[in-house]
Amino acid sequence: MIAAFGLALGVLAGLLMEPSIPEALAPYLPIAVVAAMDAVFGGLRAHLDGVFDDKVFVISFVSNVLIAATIVYLGDQLGVGGQLSTGVIVVLGIRIFSNVAAIRRHVFHA
Amino acid sequence: MTHLPGGLREDGPDASEAPHIGLLTQVMTQTLDQDYAAVARRRDPQVPDPSPRWRIGALSVLLVFGLMLGVSALTTDQEQPLIAAERAELIEQIEAGQSKLADQQQQLAALSDEVARMQSRLAAELTDDRLLSNRLTALGVAAGTIGVTGPGVVVTVDDARYTGEESGGVVLDTDLQLLVNGLWEAGAEAVSIDDHRLTSLTSIRLAGEAITVDYRSLAPPYVIEATGDPDTMPARLLETRGGQFWLDLKTNYGVQFEIVAKSQVSIPADLRDHLLYAAPRRAT
Repeated sequence: MIAAFGLALGVLAGLLMEPSIPEALAPYLPIAVVAAMDAVFGGLRAHLDGVFDDKVFVISFVSNVLIAATIVYLGDQLGVGGQLSTGVIVVLGIRIFSNVAAIRRHVFHA
Repeated sequence: MTHLPGGLREDGPDASEAPHIGLLTQVMTQTLDQDYAAVARRRDPQVPDPSPRWRIGALSVLLVFGLMLGVSALTTDQEQPLIAAERAELIEQIEAGQSKLADQQQQLAALSDEVARMQSRLAAELTDDRLLSNRLTALGVAAGTIGVTGPGVVVTVDDARYTGEESGGVVLDTDLQLLVNGLWEAGAEAVSIDDHRLTSLTSIRLAGEAITVDYRSLAPPYVIEATGDPDTMPARLLETRGGQFWLDLKTNYGVQFEIVAKSQVSIPADLRDHLLYAAPRRAT
């Protein structure tokens, strides 16, 4: 409940305050968001599994975002940014799907 | 990849596929950070929440996540008009290019039409030119301004040979005039006497003892060349008044008169190819 509230607050803050992202970081925001989604859905699933831990959640979130952004950054420097983005998104997408499926099993018991 | 007998691949099925299956399986199955399980195993079930600091951290992480979602949604939203504008501009460019292309194709069609028209006009003009030049040639042949060559006859005439006791006949200018007129009647297209082309302006006169053609004196024998049908001209010539007259001359005065048909006679042009005094009257 508090978590959902924090999420909604963040979204509202982002939409209303319109914080400007540095131009250099702008290309990595979408991939960072996908990585963050993976961590958040993982956390939600862990919560439903009854094994949620705040520390693990925070660390997995930060490391996910940083690793995803770094991989894409390195890819950009090497000239394979597009391909690496695709790879990262495929892997994260599979994880997100699996986690959401697990969450669905918990919520609907199906 | 080399296929060996028995369907075995060179590198073997295990070497190439096992790691891939492993990687995919890992991605598909281990979707949850194993740390959750590890920490859960370590955790003492008696202590409900060992670290409230991390609870705040997790909340702020969620806040940051929400912020990121909001910002990227906003960014995408803001970029949309730009992308749409670019797209519209591109569409405009494409349409402009297409209309330009259509214009140019139309122009091309018009130009090729014009080319076809000009070609047909050129062809017509060429035909006209050819007709004109044919006509000019015919007129030149008739007027004597163009040298000609072709089949014809050669008539050789000469004064009578001296036989001793009496002076024989001498060819006169009127005799030659009759002969030439006979040739014209017999269908000659061009006539020359001793390589002097006869035209409508050529005179055949007697000056002193010599016959002049176009004011140039000639000496016997006189060689008269004419183009025409070599098969019929000699006979037709003899049927004319000039031919009859010359047969009489030959019989009565002993002048020489010989007609030879030739497959090739060459008749030069009249050197005087322009009028000195007359000018064409312009039609008003």
